[in-house]
Amino acid sequence: MTTSTTYLRIEHLRKSFGSFTALDDITLEVQEGEFICFLGPSGCGKTTLLRAIAGLEQQEEGGIVQAGRDISVLPPQQRDFGIVFQSYALFPNLNVNENIAYGLANVKMPRREREARVQALLEQIHLPDIGHKFPGQLSGGQQQRVALARALATEPGLLLLDEPLSALDARVRLHLRNEICSLQRKLGITTIMVTHDQDEALTMADRIVVMDHGRIAQVGTPEEIYQQPATEFVARFVGSMNLLPARVLDRHALMLGRKEVQTPIPMPDCADGTLGFRPESVTLHETPWGIDREQHLMMPAKLEQAQFMGAFVRLTMHLDDEVPLLQVDVPVEQHATLVHSPGQPLWLAVHQSALKFYPADTRECMRERPAASLTKGGSEVAAMQVAGV
Amino acid sequence: MPATLSIACKRGLDTEAWLQRLVLAAGVLFLVLTLLAPLLTMLVKSVQNRDGVFIGLSNFIDYFGNPALTDSILNSLTVAFWTTTIVISIAFVFAYALTRSGMAGKKGFRLLSMLPLFAPSLLPALSMIYLFGNQGILKDWLPFESIYGSAGIVMGLSFWAFPHALMILITAFSNSDARLYEAAKSMKTPPWRVFLTVTLPSVRYGLINTIFVIFTLTITDFGVAKVIGGQYNVLATDIYKQVVGQQNFQMGAVVSVVLLLPALVSFIVERRVQRHQSAQLSARAVPLQPQKAPLRDALLTGFCTLVCGFLLLVIGMAIYASFITFWPYNMALSLNNYRFDMMDGGGWASYFNSLQMSAWTALIGTAVVFLIAYMNEKIKPMPMVRRVLQLLAMLPMAVPGIVLGLAYIFFFNHPQNPLNLMYGTMAILVLNTLVHFYTVCHLTAVTSLKQIDGEFEAVSASLKVPFYTTLRRVTLPLALPAVLDISVYLFVNAMTTVSAVVFLYSADTTLASVAVMHMDEAGDIAPAAAMAVLLMVTSMVAKLLHWLVSHKILLHTQRWRKL
Repeated sequence: MTTSTTYLRIEHLRKSFGSFTALDDITLEVQEGEFICFLGPSGCGKTTLLRAIAGLEQQEEGGIVQAGRDISVLPPQQRDFGIVFQSYALFPNLNVNENIAYGLANVKMPRREREARVQALLEQIHLPDIGHKFPGQLSGGQQQRVALARALATEPGLLLLDEPLSALDARVRLHLRNEICSLQRKLGITTIMVTHDQDEALTMADRIVVMDHGRIAQVGTPEEIYQQPATEFVARFVGSMNLLPARVLDRHALMLGRKEVQTPIPMPDCADGTLGFRPESVTLHETPWGIDREQHLMMPAKLEQAQFMGAFVRLTMHLDDEVPLLQVDVPVEQHATLVHSPGQPLWLAVHQSALKFYPADTRECMRERPAASLTKGGSEVAAMQVAGV
Repeated sequence: MPATLSIACKRGLDTEAWLQRLVLAAGVLFLVLTLLAPLLTMLVKSVQNRDGVFIGLSNFIDYFGNPALTDSILNSLTVAFWTTTIVISIAFVFAYALTRSGMAGKKGFRLLSMLPLFAPSLLPALSMIYLFGNQGILKDWLPFESIYGSAGIVMGLSFWAFPHALMILITAFSNSDARLYEAAKSMKTPPWRVFLTVTLPSVRYGLINTIFVIFTLTITDFGVAKVIGGQYNVLATDIYKQVVGQQNFQMGAVVSVVLLLPALVSFIVERRVQRHQSAQLSARAVPLQPQKAPLRDALLTGFCTLVCGFLLLVIGMAIYASFITFWPYNMALSLNNYRFDMMDGGGWASYFNSLQMSAWTALIGTAVVFLIAYMNEKIKPMPMVRRVLQLLAMLPMAVPGIVLGLAYIFFFNHPQNPLNLMYGTMAILVLNTLVHFYTVCHLTAVTSLKQIDGEFEAVSASLKVPFYTTLRRVTLPLALPAVLDISVYLFVNAMTTVSAVVFLYSADTTLASVAVMHMDEAGDIAPAAAMAVLLMVTSMVAKLLHWLVSHKILLHTQRWRKL
């Protein structure tokens, strides 16, 4: 990524609707040919950011530079992008050919060439024979692909996708994920997709921008986002995560409820925080013997409930009355040999690399001792950005 | 980072943006000049004397000190109260029968119930005279002393206002959720309790809305009271008498202000209720399939037959009377009453003037309404201006026709107004009629535009297609049914309206609906009925053409709709 050039630069973007701050000092760089996902819950500002890039919303402050051109205050007509909306916004009274050729009408182009271009696009979306159908005659997935073809027809430098898959049913969605990705790679077009679906973001994006309350919570590759969530918010939003309120006793000891545990990772100097780890990063043991205490956090817990999920079994474990129930995912075979009945005591072990600690007051703790030991690589930078460093 | 980026952003305007703003500004200017300015001029007149000198509230003091005038306030309220009560009761049951019962022949009943929409409001009044007047054929059936007065007005208005109430109530009743009824049934709720706890709450807003719409319609009506009111004065006829009879424009302005008040209050309440109505029905509601219930359905069929029978009787009476040579002495059928050139009111010329005026109103009005609604709904520049425009577009609903007409005299006949060139021309009639019926047209356009995907304009912009191309190629074809609805609505109302234009026609631009009134004034009741029938038939033909266009041509040119 370091070798590629910056295609889109967003600097200190700010936008509010009345008293609601939709975008709060957004700064971001997108590389040429990159597939970026804006991920976040509804109301986090991801769609507003996309619309600001398109010129459909006007930011109050900040600038956008696309391919070296300052487009901050240009109307959408003068920017260079194609867009696909959740509703597809296909013109129902025009057939597929006319829809795709809609933007070609004002590019002076011989009729034959235009027809060839439309046909080539139809081939590209693997629907060569539907040119004379109206949108109402197509399935949701087909409409979606036609909308994609229409957006690509004018060969824009930037493709914007606003929750393009969320109106489709699960099976079609999976299929189209692959199709959009392979088309994007083939054309090499810089693409930004807005989604609230973490699976979509994790499987499709080169990099994910996680947003929360109009701010960027973390920017990173899908692996970084999943494995090193920079904040508690990211941890909660992407994948499932056990998040336990914890009190720091000293550099290597925590109170979880009324239980004291030793941590293999060093703790910052603050009173409270949240300890996080993913359900699948826990290993189960009948006895505490033989677990490397230097590398693992260990907790005794009681089995409450086991839920068969197909590929694995999700266990609900009780650690202490004062902390939430834990979720532990174990392979089906291990479940069969190890787990017997509700109420059974078991030992949980979490490797230090899978442990996260999020101090309650980020700024205070960061000043004392940056949580560098907790985060690695790209997410470290993101965490510092969030903290305002 | 360039320093320019961090400063506050304000977008420059390109040609398209200028054009959009220009159209929107023109729309606001249009409504200010044709609605707000006339009304304000009228307000000013009400606090001036004949010489245009400011005299404070002295006109109002004179007015309220004169019992002959203030009695009309009570009269208007009485008439509006009874008409609203009667119309709402009947329309409620009728709408229930059409939407919730297993009654047969619903389409026929619905069609018949809409007939009064095509008649000028003068027509039922003339029919009342033939049915229950001094020489009426059903005079002995009348439980009142005389049809001339409140009884006649209430009956005539009930006929005329009925379809308006019915339309809103049918919509209200159609918003049903079958699952609520299934839940009630599964809990063994008796039918009367289902009605009170499920049915009634679901139509509550529609019902309140209807009450205010009908109250406004009836308290402001001019035509019916003019023809059959006799000595029973109401506010609308008082305005006419003050202005035309006594040339007392100031007092006309005062009565107009008095009449404007209840209409405005009713309008504001109705708008507030409307706001609650939208969120009532969840998107996942299952529409109710009406069930058969023999006894109930039979009773409702009887009721609907009775109501439609009355409507047909009123219309039939007018048609029949228009062909009678000389009621009640020579009952032979003839076309004598259709020789309008022998009568007051401008003769056949006024009919053709009406046709011309209606055609222009439909043509120009539809374009103006649609363009303004489009800019307001889809393009969305200048949020403040749009808010003003929205308010102005709703206002005509609250302004009684006769008040608007008088306001036009004050504004357009003012010697210093450069627009007074229009006074006495066809143009002012078209303008006045368009503004008078603006609100419903605007709402129709807005509703249909709201149903069109809001991202079309954004997609077009991304494809570098100017907005007017998308308007022509996509938005207009999609909204075509609504556009046709607006044009036929304007045409029919322009044909039948009396109240607003009664002050504005000139010797060259006499109108058929006004001619009906003048012939009635001159005692030529039969020719008046004949002209009213002619207007009704013309409106029906227009509606039939509209139906043919929407059902035949749309099918051919808009194949995609049926997919």
